Amino acid sequence: MTPNETHGSLARTLLLLGRLALAAIFLFAAYAKLKPQAAMPWSGSSVKTSLSLFAMQVDSYQLLPPQLVSPAAHFLPPFELFLGLWLLSGVLLRYGSFITTLLLGAFFAVMVRTYMAGLEINCGCFGPGERLGPLTLLRDGSLLALALAVTIGAFLQGRKGRELSAPTAVATPQRAD
Amino acid sequence: MISGFHRFLVRGMTSRAQRAAAVLAALVFLVPASPAQTTTPTSAKTAAPAHKRAAADTAAPTAPVKTIGNRNAPITMEVFSDYQCPSCGNFFENTLRAMIQDYVAQGKVYLVHHDFPLQMHTYSGQAARWANAAGMIGQFQDVDAALFDNQAKWTADGDLEKYVAGVLSPANFKRVQGILKGCTAAPATSKADRSVPQADPGCPVDPYIVQDIVLGYQVPVQATPTFIIRYKGQSYPASSGIITWPILKQFFDTLLSQ
Repeated sequence: MTPNETHGSLARTLLLLGRLALAAIFLFAAYAKLKPQAAMPWSGSSVKTSLSLFAMQVDSYQLLPPQLVSPAAHFLPPFELFLGLWLLSGVLLRYGSFITTLLLGAFFAVMVRTYMAGLEINCGCFGPGERLGPLTLLRDGSLLALALAVTIGAFLQGRKGRELSAPTAVATPQRAD
Repeated sequence: MISGFHRFLVRGMTSRAQRAAAVLAALVFLVPASPAQTTTPTSAKTAAPAHKRAAADTAAPTAPVKTIGNRNAPITMEVFSDYQCPSCGNFFENTLRAMIQDYVAQGKVYLVHHDFPLQMHTYSGQAARWANAAGMIGQFQDVDAALFDNQAKWTADGDLEKYVAGVLSPANFKRVQGILKGCTAAPATSKADRSVPQADPGCPVDPYIVQDIVLGYQVPVQATPTFIIRYKGQSYPASSGIITWPILKQFFDTLLSQ
């Protein structure tokens, strides 16, 4: 195996690990928000209650007007579930990881703004009960960096793939005369 | 737990006299813990809202009643609050006031106040003392609202008395002042290291404030306001910060529709 091939194999492995880690984090985040919060069995009613509880956490950020809080709280967990499954599948990874980076960037910006404003609230990142603080900012910043790295890796690998699969240029035949 | 402890004591006793002494000691220990229950009939306690029940128990100072609404309401909301914290003031004015007028008045929510005065606030411990003293004579709701309504003013000059006097009758204000007469040491506040604060031995309300602070440590309260919602015997995770009334109401409606 040439050094170039070793390098390529390592990059592919790192990209795979990064993608799987992001997928697992998003799937867990969605699960933590949707799971029954009290000793209730899984049901439509329990999911509805969990989403209403999550709406309170979204509201505590004091960012959205009340009429938008509930739609946002009902959209985010299913969207996180969708992104987690998308990243897990690896299909169109460049786009999936790009959207993930945008979402994590938005989360991080909102969290920094809230922390700087001195609001002492729950993060709501992985369900209720986790206070927003320097550690949550560090964790979400690291996740954003990971998502960005996966996106760059996915774009680079995609470009390399296109280069390899492109038809080889055929030399113009020289006239014999 | 107390009855188990009592059984343990009685089993360990050999003579009849020792057993009798233990039972007597247990009775002496238990009676001061629930003086209100001995003065009010059970039926009256369950039928009337807590603050009105407390108003009827004006014969002698008892444990402060810091609840609003019907204790049989399907939802109980316990709020840990600091009278000087701006977020708590905002939460009271924009959320709890509307909730009291709506779902508490309708008997859907029972509101329980817990004091969690923060060390960094100069007057919050003293404000909690006034609220607890008012709770001892059944005037908690009015004083609670007055403290939050005038938060910015008394935070500036520390003159809490003026605003408490403004919502109580002269006779009730005198009673509240009488309760706080022995409160000379610095009021109890929550500690950053979660240690139990010292109650002023001469201050009858301090043990109740310390009790709330210790309860807050157990939650754990990391910021004020923090609240816990209970429904059908289930406790939902504690939330902190300002939640607007429409969103809180939506959560209550979801619970009530289960």
